[in-house]
Amino acid sequence: MPDDRYGVGASLLRREDDRHLHGRGQFVADVKLPGTMDIAFVRSPHAHARIRSITVPPEARGRVFTAADLPRVKPIRVVSHSTGAKSPPWPPLATDKVRYVGEAIAACIAPSRGEAEDLANAVSVDFEILDAVIDAPRDMRGSRHPMHEHWGDNLYIEHMLQGGDIDAAARAADVVVTREFRMQRQSGAPLECRGVLAYRDYRLDEVVVFASTQTPHTVRVALAEILDIEERCIRVVAPDVGGGFGPKARLYPEEIILAALALELDHPVRWIEDRSEHLLTTAHTRDHHYKVTAYADRQGLILGVDAEIVVDAGAYGLWPQGPYHEAGMVARALPGPYTIPHYRAKHSTVATNKTPLGPYRGVGRPGACFVIERLIDEIARAIGHEPNEVRLLNLVRPEQMPFTTIGGMRLDSGDYAQSVRLCAELLDMPAIRARQQRSEPDSRLIGIGFATFAEQTAHGAAEFAARGASIIPGFESCTARILTDGSVVLMVGIQSHGQGLETALSQVAAEELGIDPARISVRHGDTESTAFGFGTFASRSMVMSGGAVARASRMLRDKLCRIGAHLLQCDVAEVRCVDGLVSGPQGSVTIAEIAKVAHLRMDGLPQGVDPLLDATATYEPAISTGVYSYATHGAVVAVDPETGFVELLDYAVAEDCGTMVNPMLVEGQIRGGVVQGIGTALFEEIPYDEAGQPLAGTLADYLMPGAAEMPAIKIGHLHTPTPHTEYGMKGMGEGGAVAPPAAIANAVRDALSSIGAEVNETPITPRRVLTAIKKARGPKA
Amino acid sequence: MSAIRLQINGAAVTDDVPPRLSLADFLRERRNLTGTHLGCEHGVCGACTVLVDGEPARSCLMLAVACDEREVTTIEGFAGDPAIEALRRNFHRHHALQCGFCTPAMLITARDLILRQRAGSEREIRDALAGNICRCTGYTNIVTAIAETAKEIGKEAPNA
Repeated sequence: MPDDRYGVGASLLRREDDRHLHGRGQFVADVKLPGTMDIAFVRSPHAHARIRSITVPPEARGRVFTAADLPRVKPIRVVSHSTGAKSPPWPPLATDKVRYVGEAIAACIAPSRGEAEDLANAVSVDFEILDAVIDAPRDMRGSRHPMHEHWGDNLYIEHMLQGGDIDAAARAADVVVTREFRMQRQSGAPLECRGVLAYRDYRLDEVVVFASTQTPHTVRVALAEILDIEERCIRVVAPDVGGGFGPKARLYPEEIILAALALELDHPVRWIEDRSEHLLTTAHTRDHHYKVTAYADRQGLILGVDAEIVVDAGAYGLWPQGPYHEAGMVARALPGPYTIPHYRAKHSTVATNKTPLGPYRGVGRPGACFVIERLIDEIARAIGHEPNEVRLLNLVRPEQMPFTTIGGMRLDSGDYAQSVRLCAELLDMPAIRARQQRSEPDSRLIGIGFATFAEQTAHGAAEFAARGASIIPGFESCTARILTDGSVVLMVGIQSHGQGLETALSQVAAEELGIDPARISVRHGDTESTAFGFGTFASRSMVMSGGAVARASRMLRDKLCRIGAHLLQCDVAEVRCVDGLVSGPQGSVTIAEIAKVAHLRMDGLPQGVDPLLDATATYEPAISTGVYSYATHGAVVAVDPETGFVELLDYAVAEDCGTMVNPMLVEGQIRGGVVQGIGTALFEEIPYDEAGQPLAGTLADYLMPGAAEMPAIKIGHLHTPTPHTEYGMKGMGEGGAVAPPAAIANAVRDALSSIGAEVNETPITPRRVLTAIKKARGPKA
Repeated sequence: MSAIRLQINGAAVTDDVPPRLSLADFLRERRNLTGTHLGCEHGVCGACTVLVDGEPARSCLMLAVACDEREVTTIEGFAGDPAIEALRRNFHRHHALQCGFCTPAMLITARDLILRQRAGSEREIRDALAGNICRCTGYTNIVTAIAETAKEIGKEAPNA
């Protein structure tokens, strides 16, 4: 029974807000336990070196722990069933070799972080420095000092994805566009860095690990395996988490070391990552190199795309999925939502002396979208058409659904072309084209650009099994419990760190149970109170956890109705569960009264009905290869050809994520994602020098989008519920971050069309714009 | 160790602190005022913003010893403050927070610019927020919430 006050579809205000608005959120660093000691790590200052010896001053003995002091700790090891995948062991504290700047070597313990850092500074390590593997395309086949000696090359994995006949496309083409593209390395940079607090709970015989993580249950799986203790003796808690965006969906060495130390020591230990450590050691992301050729006919119909993709994945594979998924996702997403018949993509994932690469909002897709959308615009320019005409010509049409792209993505529903038209409307494209005919008083150049994409979301068993994953996040769980007074607790295996899932999941239960969300609590992020689940990533939580909440709630509703009908002396088919009541033809009984019967007055239960109102359900969408949201993004820019500075004048998103459980939260996710995508497009970059030193170690070097540079972001919605999920929801958490680099690069290209310059590398910094202009104007200019 | 005496959220506090202890660590670790957050510890992200003698300050860059004889206000210390109450209401109503990590400092900065009448236009608000990074929201709703609050406060006290 839909309820527009608080059920599915209501923009219910968030239950999470109050604690944060009063400074009463509880992040890892806010958890206070008596006797806690702080940890600082000795970290490698070198990108690639052998450790000859580690010297701990005598007065520091017992307060500094190296790998030799923690023999129970085994290396992190990712298992992949993908053909040819190589998986290096990663000791959480380095043993004989370090492979990136920032790699942990020793843990130092003191009453405060400052004193722990003093201790870390007193430890000396003798290194034999090796050549750094830095340039992925150059070094992938081998280097003087290879990353992992017995490999022979520096490749984690190399695959070819092909469909159709790319040579036939080449023969038939009227237009051939070849480009190199580059998406630089960056950080996910949640505002809260990582953190771990670990202690022994002697009463329960367990080690408790508070961690700023998106995936508490799988962190427990890994800790049990690596520390060789049973899972029943480990509790992992993710309290309030100050943003995650992907990088916190992986296991890290610090979580293992802190848990191991808690087992050794008789006091709690805490490590709170600082921002410089974060930029050095938390998963980096993107870092793609492309060489791509597109073949088209003279109308702009794309016949084929031939791509070489190199992903620079850094020194080790992060558990559980390793370094393999980024390039695979790029290869499969690169053809976008277009009906391209011929495709070939060779994709290589390279080990380098850099911080390990991990997931970040969009995973591979921002690069894939950047490439295909830039190519569409270049094809349009080659034949003298508006880019959106070529976009519309090649987009999948509603009557073709479900449509499997040449990359293997099964798009389920929607009108993709309509999103292009709606986005152009939101930006008043004719007005922009008219403005471009006049010159600007400040001599800047105006441009408008678009990008369309399909976003695979809530993918489960079939998808991850096809990727060769050894951990397959194929479902989510919910335990729904009604207490003796009729109030409700939902215990879910996902983790909410800003998405508003405490609110949105309560809406789903409210929809099914007819109970005001104000009477529903949502518990997440704690292995102690929730059934197993995989956590929050891959735009999966609302579809999967929402589905589990719906199913568990319905199980409770059925039981409420059976008891209610018995109390009302009517048939169960005659009662409805709405507005906190079970109502029959002759009257109604409150859920609180039923709950009392189910727990405290079981003499009122009908025969054959057990006490308790407690149900656990799991959920996976009917299609486990994912359900597809889509959108078109558009950007309007002003480019100063003298300084190379790009100002964003306007930005619009026209999107379709099916049924929106809470439209306010959906729009919040879109806007937040877009601004992160703008960061990728214009600001964020972690360059490395030839010796493997990262050159962005603070937020003064690593530029994050601020309010002053951002436009207000317009949003238009299309609504095509998918047939494969509860309520027709599609995931949508990542999409916002996918298209901004493509849309902005196309807008910059449009602005610079009179000069003939294009920028095919992100971030589009003033230096890169000026270099492109200079190149286009030639040596004489 | 240095002896300091200061006011925190209206209460007199005395302590002995190491000279290198930051105000943020002093508030968080010794006073358990954990609403002040540390996002970078080098003065860029703004998550640690508090008021020192009524002016916004980066508590990660300020030493506790520098606060001797001064008055510090953290997010925990604004009970009954009409501007903060209105900002809280509008941040909630306009979905101007997600993970909540930047929120306390965002409120303190927003209150300051509203009281200084520097929240008259979207442009003015966006420029004034340059020192507070939010990674989640994309800022649109924060700007709306501050603009709404500025309007409300302006109506209540036209000459403020």
